[in-house]
Amino acid sequence: MPIPDKIPAFRRLRGYAFDPSLSLRSDTAFINNIVYNVPWETKLDPGPVGEYLEVVDYDPTTKKHYEPVVLNNKNLLAQDGLQPSEVNPQFHQQMVYAVAMTTITNFETALGRKVIWAPRRLADRDKYAEYVARLRVYPHALRDTNAYYSPQKKALLFGYFEARPANNTLHMPGSFVFTCLSHDIIAHEVTHAILDGMYPAYSEASNPDVLAFHEAFADIVALFQHFTFPEVLKHQVAKTRGDLASQNLLGELAQEFGSAIGSYGSLRDAIGEIDPVTKTWKAKEPRGDEYNTVMEPHQRGSTLVSAVFEAFLSIYKGRIKDLLRMATGGTGVLPQGELHPDLVNRLASEASKAAKHVLNMCIRALDYCPPVDITFGDYLRAIITADRALVNNDSLDYRLAFIEAFRRRGIYPQGLKTFSVDSLELMNGNGLAGNGKDDPIQILTQFFRKYASDISYEQDREKIFRISRKYITGENGLHSRLSEKFLGNGKFQMLTGLVFNTNWKDFGVRTSTKKYLGGEGPSYQIQNLRLVSRVGPENNLLNQVVFSLVQRSGIVMEAGEFKEHYHLGEPLPEGNAGATEDGLPIQDRFVLYGGCTMIFDLNTQELKYVVCKPLLNIDKLKKTGEVEIDRERIRQQYNYQREEGLMHLSEYNRYFGSGLHHPLNEPFCFLHH
Amino acid sequence: MPNTNSANKVTHAVVRMYCMGTGDCFIIKFFAGDNVRFKMMIDCGVWTGGKDRLTPFMEDLKEYVEGEVDLLVITHEHLDHVSVFETCSDVFTNNFTVKKIWMSWSENDSLSKIKRWKTEYGEKKRALALASERLEEALMRPEEREAFINGADGLAIMGARKHFAAALSNFSMLHMQGVAGQYKGMLEGMRIVKKEIANDNIEYMYPGNIIEDLPGLEGVRFYVLGPPEKWDDVETEGGGEGESYTHNKILKGEEAFAVAITGTNAAGGTDGILPFEAFYESASDNNNVRKSYDDPDCAWRTIENEWLFSAGNLALRIGTLTNNLSLVIAIEFEENRRVMLFPGDAEYGSWRTWHNISWEGIEKPEDGVHFTQDLLRRTVFYKIAHHMSHNGTAERLGLNMMEHKDLAAMGSLDYKVIPPAWKGTMPNREMLQELLRKTKGRLMIMNEKGIFYDFHDQEPIAGKIKQARSKMNVGEKAAFEDDFKKDETNGYYIDYKVKA
Repeated sequence: MPIPDKIPAFRRLRGYAFDPSLSLRSDTAFINNIVYNVPWETKLDPGPVGEYLEVVDYDPTTKKHYEPVVLNNKNLLAQDGLQPSEVNPQFHQQMVYAVAMTTITNFETALGRKVIWAPRRLADRDKYAEYVARLRVYPHALRDTNAYYSPQKKALLFGYFEARPANNTLHMPGSFVFTCLSHDIIAHEVTHAILDGMYPAYSEASNPDVLAFHEAFADIVALFQHFTFPEVLKHQVAKTRGDLASQNLLGELAQEFGSAIGSYGSLRDAIGEIDPVTKTWKAKEPRGDEYNTVMEPHQRGSTLVSAVFEAFLSIYKGRIKDLLRMATGGTGVLPQGELHPDLVNRLASEASKAAKHVLNMCIRALDYCPPVDITFGDYLRAIITADRALVNNDSLDYRLAFIEAFRRRGIYPQGLKTFSVDSLELMNGNGLAGNGKDDPIQILTQFFRKYASDISYEQDREKIFRISRKYITGENGLHSRLSEKFLGNGKFQMLTGLVFNTNWKDFGVRTSTKKYLGGEGPSYQIQNLRLVSRVGPENNLLNQVVFSLVQRSGIVMEAGEFKEHYHLGEPLPEGNAGATEDGLPIQDRFVLYGGCTMIFDLNTQELKYVVCKPLLNIDKLKKTGEVEIDRERIRQQYNYQREEGLMHLSEYNRYFGSGLHHPLNEPFCFLHH
Repeated sequence: MPNTNSANKVTHAVVRMYCMGTGDCFIIKFFAGDNVRFKMMIDCGVWTGGKDRLTPFMEDLKEYVEGEVDLLVITHEHLDHVSVFETCSDVFTNNFTVKKIWMSWSENDSLSKIKRWKTEYGEKKRALALASERLEEALMRPEEREAFINGADGLAIMGARKHFAAALSNFSMLHMQGVAGQYKGMLEGMRIVKKEIANDNIEYMYPGNIIEDLPGLEGVRFYVLGPPEKWDDVETEGGGEGESYTHNKILKGEEAFAVAITGTNAAGGTDGILPFEAFYESASDNNNVRKSYDDPDCAWRTIENEWLFSAGNLALRIGTLTNNLSLVIAIEFEENRRVMLFPGDAEYGSWRTWHNISWEGIEKPEDGVHFTQDLLRRTVFYKIAHHMSHNGTAERLGLNMMEHKDLAAMGSLDYKVIPPAWKGTMPNREMLQELLRKTKGRLMIMNEKGIFYDFHDQEPIAGKIKQARSKMNVGEKAAFEDDFKKDETNGYYIDYKVKA
């Protein structure tokens, strides 16, 4: 019998913990060079090209291809990959691969399922979309102080630029600075891509929070990922004597590099600042009205980042109280001098745990978010609901820490009567249940149980994608089932806020290309059917099937008010709509997105939660039964896209963009400018 | 003071704006009673326009000044400020006398520092023109269509990309004309002024210069406020909240971009073009990565032209830089100390430096404010900088300080003739609101048609101005009706009388 061939669990790859600039500082150099442990991919081609990523090192600015790194080369395997170096493009390839895979792994761990990239939507409505196996990564794609995720190309484009000379006399270029060597930028961009895979409509700026959320969430992931590096964490704990709030490399330094290259830094501004007098970094105190006053996407996003960071700090403080009591004999005052290494280790381990929990909470919350038009308040509800679903006993008051931190910045969900853990939990979907075996919920949960068993043990991402597609669009799939069971069902319409009646054309909704029971029906998309299967800390098993419905309605405005609907098949006027050549007003048209996320519990066989952003006016529907489009949402979205939002566009966007309602040409590129 | 003959004392000035389209062309006549004492011209440009359309305007101008101006001021080298010198060059090169020309110090090409800088800056303009040309060309190619046509919203995406390219081309045209790729030096209009109109009579002005008692102009002083002399001021565009009317980010270096576009660095070599040693370049075009990049099924994922969109940064940078090099002049009537402000297209970076000028020989105002602030609060006529854009007028250090009750403002904005991309930023609504309030409607726009006060295109600006004018009292109203004249026959110009 041959000796069993044991496949390693990890591939060890060297890289920067932050970015190359830290390696030039004597106090930080030794923590900046770390080894990333990324999951072992047996089939890893030169590039690297693996299961998730395809690093293509082509530089269109010079029309040069660079030789792809072969990570399976034995020389590299023996020394944890290439040594960090700015001048070696192959190390750049290794770095983007290592950080991107680390980020993907963190998402998979938190979500309990495989990361699947956004499919490529096709013009052909029948074919609809095609599977995208690998995210393309172009480490040297631009000559710009920018890097972005391109939803059109399913690719990350990283830029490089010259370090700005100290004197401003338009010098010839100095040394190059590469965005693909910054941990934070890579993690940030990969997160954009993962989020786009879950909620493609989040690149549609329908309210001031949407783009800010995309930015902030990407930054939260990048920030907390640092805490998973033990060397960095121990160094920080030792240096700050355990008080991560007082001074914090993790918040501070990324800020320095970030400010040199644009918007990445500004997201961290809200966490803390360097005191001009004492020259030390300190956490910033919230004013309390940030949410209502700060509108520019990055500054607004920074409010969310700082809220999550504050929640982390209070969780961390709660976790180390006992340690500090023990270490100080109950006085709470640490002795002068360096901390005992054992204490440093214990504090670092608590910080790491707290950070992992916070990161997990933030990522898991995604499953409980509405598919369109997200607000920070919705996100807070999602965090609380997701955590409650998994963790019954919140003994360390994590949820409270979040609520407190959000409240201190004026972030409240809309339409809540009180502000507490209980009221924040999402509403459940009861009320649809019928009797016995005709109960549509029962029938659907049976259907989902079958889906769950088909998908549970599937490891191949493409198969997962195809099976899910089959369950959505196939014969007797979810799309037909929903249309057949619920078309004309008033309760379902009320629950989802979407048009599920026979007069969908009157509401500006397209007719589906599919026929149901021989008839026509309204068009809507089912996004992201997924199994949420997680084990809680009390060994409780969570089994939920989640999917989102998205429906669009064509709106014609007049004088800032809703006038009528238009047929969505017609293309919108190109470029800046609003006025004709000689400045006369034309009919103003835009698309209103409605959507809802439905969470079915397979254990209890109930529709557990519904998160909805309605097309229809739910209040009116409930009170009078009258079906009417939600004019308030129309007004809000229209005003934001045509007025408020425009005030906060960047210079770049004003001249070169096509307006917030046409975010078609690389929304994330524009966002970072 | 030499001559104090009160009969020659300037009593008022008439500011005439020629309405050829978005762009500046002003004639200021200074009067002593009914006698014209001094004729001054500021800029002569428009965004677009052929000779046939523009010549009647210029014939009118020539007749109005009787073929002679005492002083010509060129604020800066942008198409919309100098183009008509080219288009109607015959008007200016035949039987037209310009006694004196003022330009900013940055136009003094005989200084080697400026010359060197202009060559380097010329490279940037060339890069912008090349990038714009390459982008427009790339977007016309079949590959572009193939990349997007099969994807959802393909047509709309292509439209948005074309919109971008058009905006870029607008920027490029503002700075450079002729065949892209070959920077021919200055704009032709500028060249004509310097080489054909000027006759060894150009004076280059520096901030802090004070010019008084020009022949015929007793009791009138000129103060030069800009352009600043430091490059980082010239390069600053926005000032952030409360400072300028938008939240702008400071634009950053684009050297690497320019170098890649032009193929040479500023020194003419190829250093700095390639980021890595040549031995890292792919030896074979047959490896797995190359194959997947070249795979026709994945053509939609290629990035051949994406980097050209970065030219947007370069365009904004160059635009701001040239705007901030505008010659800024405040004209003061000494007796009642009223001021007319002509800032060209100066942006925030220029405005803020005005407040640091050490005005030599000028007594500090009694209440201790800086003399520049004093000038601003005495301003009764303001030529709105940069066609009423958001960054043309500083907020705290500019408009907020203009507190004179007689303030009137003129904006050279015309939606009929304008680079399309400018419509997004001009006029700035916040500034418009503030100007309407401060001037009580003495806001004169070149062409009000098509400009709306709100974002829904519901409230035409004309109505808003009318509404604001109703705030004037009877006396003010009568005075304004007397001072403000339009060319009703041909619509060539707008006149506004400023009393000394």
